[in-house]
Amino acid sequence: MSLESTSFALVAATLVAALLRAAAPIILAALGGLIAELAGVVNVALEGLMLLAAFFGVIGSAYALQWFPGAAPWVAPLAGLLAGLVAAVLGALLLAVFHLEFGADLIVAGIGINLLAAGLTVFLMVTLTGDKGSTAALASAVLPVLHLPGLAGWPALDTLLNGDGRGGHPLLVWVAFGAAALLSFLLYRTRLGLRLRAVGENPVAARAGGLPAKRLQYLALAASGVLAGLGGLYLAMGYLTLFQAEMSAGRGFLALAAVFMGGRRPLGTVLAALLFGASSVLATQLALFDIPSQVVYMVPPLVTIVALVVFSQRRAAAQRRLAAASLHQWRAAPQAAPQGETTS
Amino acid sequence: MTTPSDGLQRPPAWVAIALALALGFALTCLVSRTPGIAFHALLTGPMPQLRWSDETGWQLMRLTRVGTVIEDTVTLSLLGLAVLFGFRARQFSIGADGQFFLGALAATWVGVQLGGFPLLGLPVAVVAALSAGFLWGGIAGVLKARFGASEIVTTLMLNLIAVQLFRAVVTHAFHDSGIAYIATPAVPTPALLAPLLPRTHVTALVLLVPLATALAAWLLARTTLGYELRVVGDAPAFAAQTGVPVARTVALSMAIGGAFAGLAGFHVSHGLLKRLPVDLNPGLGFEGLVVALLARNEPRAVPLAALLYAYLKTGAQAMELASDVSREMVLVIQACIVLLVVSQRLLPQRWLQVSWLKRKAPR
Repeated sequence: MSLESTSFALVAATLVAALLRAAAPIILAALGGLIAELAGVVNVALEGLMLLAAFFGVIGSAYALQWFPGAAPWVAPLAGLLAGLVAAVLGALLLAVFHLEFGADLIVAGIGINLLAAGLTVFLMVTLTGDKGSTAALASAVLPVLHLPGLAGWPALDTLLNGDGRGGHPLLVWVAFGAAALLSFLLYRTRLGLRLRAVGENPVAARAGGLPAKRLQYLALAASGVLAGLGGLYLAMGYLTLFQAEMSAGRGFLALAAVFMGGRRPLGTVLAALLFGASSVLATQLALFDIPSQVVYMVPPLVTIVALVVFSQRRAAAQRRLAAASLHQWRAAPQAAPQGETTS
Repeated sequence: MTTPSDGLQRPPAWVAIALALALGFALTCLVSRTPGIAFHALLTGPMPQLRWSDETGWQLMRLTRVGTVIEDTVTLSLLGLAVLFGFRARQFSIGADGQFFLGALAATWVGVQLGGFPLLGLPVAVVAALSAGFLWGGIAGVLKARFGASEIVTTLMLNLIAVQLFRAVVTHAFHDSGIAYIATPAVPTPALLAPLLPRTHVTALVLLVPLATALAAWLLARTTLGYELRVVGDAPAFAAQTGVPVARTVALSMAIGGAFAGLAGFHVSHGLLKRLPVDLNPGLGFEGLVVALLARNEPRAVPLAALLYAYLKTGAQAMELASDVSREMVLVIQACIVLLVVSQRLLPQRWLQVSWLKRKAPR
């Protein structure tokens, strides 16, 4: 390989590695959005659930460090992980209770949970640390990093799989892709997945068929909380090691967009989330040139809108084709039916 | 809005508010050393105080806080109406923030350009703000109506773009070099907009609230467009079958909402701030959303909901000054109000069904 192609591969690998890290939280939250959406309970609260997990993860790990200073190094991250996940699942279950038991509109209740999360995290942060901006004053833990050994001989591959500094990607980056595969298997290859999708497709029919529809929707929202929570934890205990007010910065909504853009399928959802990650990497690259920062910040939302329009357009066209085809079939049917023939 | 079909009564709004306040009080007791003082400040802080002193006699104190409540009520009423239009057509458009920013920018620009002609400048500024909001809201509307792009996502993204556009314009094109911070030139205020209350920004623009509310109520209840909008919101399939132009109505619902948000921008630029700083705080649009939810999408209830919201907001600041509780506690109360207000019932269905079964045959 020539020198140019080697360095080109290295640059590409650096960008892709950055993309993986930027997309990981969106992928995790989007998978959470996907399972809820397929079970018929669209989760608008992903953003708030990410915030809850990020905050309680940092607080949990920080207090574990304070209370058990001599404990093994894995105690504090684990405490943070558990605290964050419990908080996110509780948030998701609160949404479930308000929708399924109290009859609240799901989207509005989701917005309510987002408000609750934004207020509660800042309120508790001020109460615990006296700071309104971030928990920088608290020492908190980092979730583990996975370094793949034995790649030192291939710099481009090493950068791709271990990140820019070749220190290894945060474990949650791999978890994000693992979760996508796992969720895909769960939804399309297991009985539970079939039941979840059946409830989402037609809850009344599912209930008539003997499925515990409400319990399945609780389950889907709780799983959604776990996945969105992992995304939030990645932000506060991987990407950064502190909690900032509003640190999810719209990623939960991007995740929701990814679900719809991806056509409510696991692979499509992951690809859409990667696209959003790519637009934020593009923004950081553009910032290196002499372009006003405001223009750079407009790039990710613009890309999102354009992508959404293109995908919605294609889906609408597909639906129109389907409708036209069935209309054609229906028109052809009366003549064909007596002879028992099938027209297509 | 329509009543729930299962015959169970929705809890009235005051129950939701009382419950949320009680929850807030419980939370305050958990974290504060002086929960009584904190909550007293929250609930009575925005009220004026009558005070006696020997030199001046009776005097009304804390008018500034009353002023803040009234100013916020005006802005939030307009933003609440803005969100409501989309909601009535069942469009979860949350783009009031961006429409508000561009409306304020347009109004300020016109105000500065036509500074010498107050009689002409004021109406033109209103029109500019209305059109800016209408157009920006219309973008999301057309994207939804023409391409089926989810309005939740597009309006959110348009908010981000509008805020950055605002900052780019204020930083690079339209700023006052004579002041120490980055902001637009000040709008020269005509005598028409002199404060009605001393030491506040409460001006004749307060009249915008009854006017805009009446206009919104009239549009929704008395015009063809309003009828189509409600039909599209309540029964989209019926609307499509009976020949209501669904796409046009959807697009217009968001554009009209945008015009109201633009009007809120006009109020902020001409009534409150006079010059817009580059770091004008985003997020007001979401407060408008809470107001619309609190009013249960009924235009005539919007001013009251806005007043409640503004009251709590000012009370929260008073609470932060008077005690060790931060003002974000009010966000928690507001979130609880939203959750409780949209609930159809406040007990799990299972518990209610027992008594329900006695009265009617099971479904």
